[in-house]
Amino acid sequence: MEDATSAAADDPDDADLMRRAAHGDRDAFAALYRRHQARVYRFARLMTGSSTAAEDIVQEVFLVVMRDAARYDPARAALTSYLYGVARHQTRRRRARDRQFVAFDGRRPDSSEPVADDDASATLERRQTLQQLRRAILSLPRRYREVVVLCDLQGVSYSDAATAMGCAIGTVRSRLHRARHLLTQKMGRTAPSHEDHPGLTERCA
Amino acid sequence: MKSMQFENTDLADALNVLRQDEAHIEAPPHVEAAVLAAWDRAHARRREERPRSMWRESAAVAAAIIIALGLGQLGRELQRTTRAAVTRAAESRTLLLVGEPILQGEPVRVVRMRVPASTLTGLGVRSATGDAAAHVDVDVIVGEDGIARAIRVGM
Repeated sequence: MEDATSAAADDPDDADLMRRAAHGDRDAFAALYRRHQARVYRFARLMTGSSTAAEDIVQEVFLVVMRDAARYDPARAALTSYLYGVARHQTRRRRARDRQFVAFDGRRPDSSEPVADDDASATLERRQTLQQLRRAILSLPRRYREVVVLCDLQGVSYSDAATAMGCAIGTVRSRLHRARHLLTQKMGRTAPSHEDHPGLTERCA
Repeated sequence: MKSMQFENTDLADALNVLRQDEAHIEAPPHVEAAVLAAWDRAHARRREERPRSMWRESAAVAAAIIIALGLGQLGRELQRTTRAAVTRAAESRTLLLVGEPILQGEPVRVVRMRVPASTLTGLGVRSATGDAAAHVDVDVIVGEDGIARAIRVGM
């Protein structure tokens, strides 16, 4: 029982951290950042296709948190929904500023990440598929791209996605359905085949 | 030739692979450093501004008090001076110029009148008794043209 209590004290919830951050608690703010930066970064990166843009968006999002922490109402939305909402807004601003997205830089996040497959051919094919999928996602209209990134790639519930996007759950569902259909079409058009790379099998064999 | 069919299940698999591929990605450490530096800057500024604004408020309050005290003092001084002047006027025979100054050698006539004290109050002289309804004897000095030049109050 005591362990549970001390664990809860050691791991305060988002609302508590936001409250403390609003009162100038730097540690609470840092804890919030560490807890949520990855999902904001991934969302921004998938939405813009640029790690540099994603870094800027993460900064902007947490500057908004720093400024508006006192105005956050946990009864209205979970912090993740709130953060996705802010990130979404910042992404749109960024796009308006940049006018066009830069090409996905394909940077590996962690050089120590284990290689997925010993088979070089399979690894290459996997990378190609991922690259095509990323491009296909980036080519989606923004409203479809958002739902795919949030629901299919970030694992956000329909309800939280609806809150973040400021729309009804039914809209999220219909957009997701349409987005998946578009992605399937795009991937079908660009699906790699060995006939496109006749030397690949021979080289990797 | 791109004959490969891409089905919904393929998309689900591809999305799943992408999700796994993205799962380890985090913002680089320099982003955290930048965000926390922004926090430190913002809060250092607030800490600096707080005493400065407190000092400003204190200075404004002090200035208001000084001005209020000064105005009060000035008001009392004016009252005292005016009262003294009125008293002096009441005690002495005061000459109030009400028209063109009397020229040297100009023949004048003196008309003795009894007027209400309120009339003198309108000219800036208060009755020694303070009773506006009381009557006061005055000497009105009239020029050759019949226009009053001065009033001599002898209360």
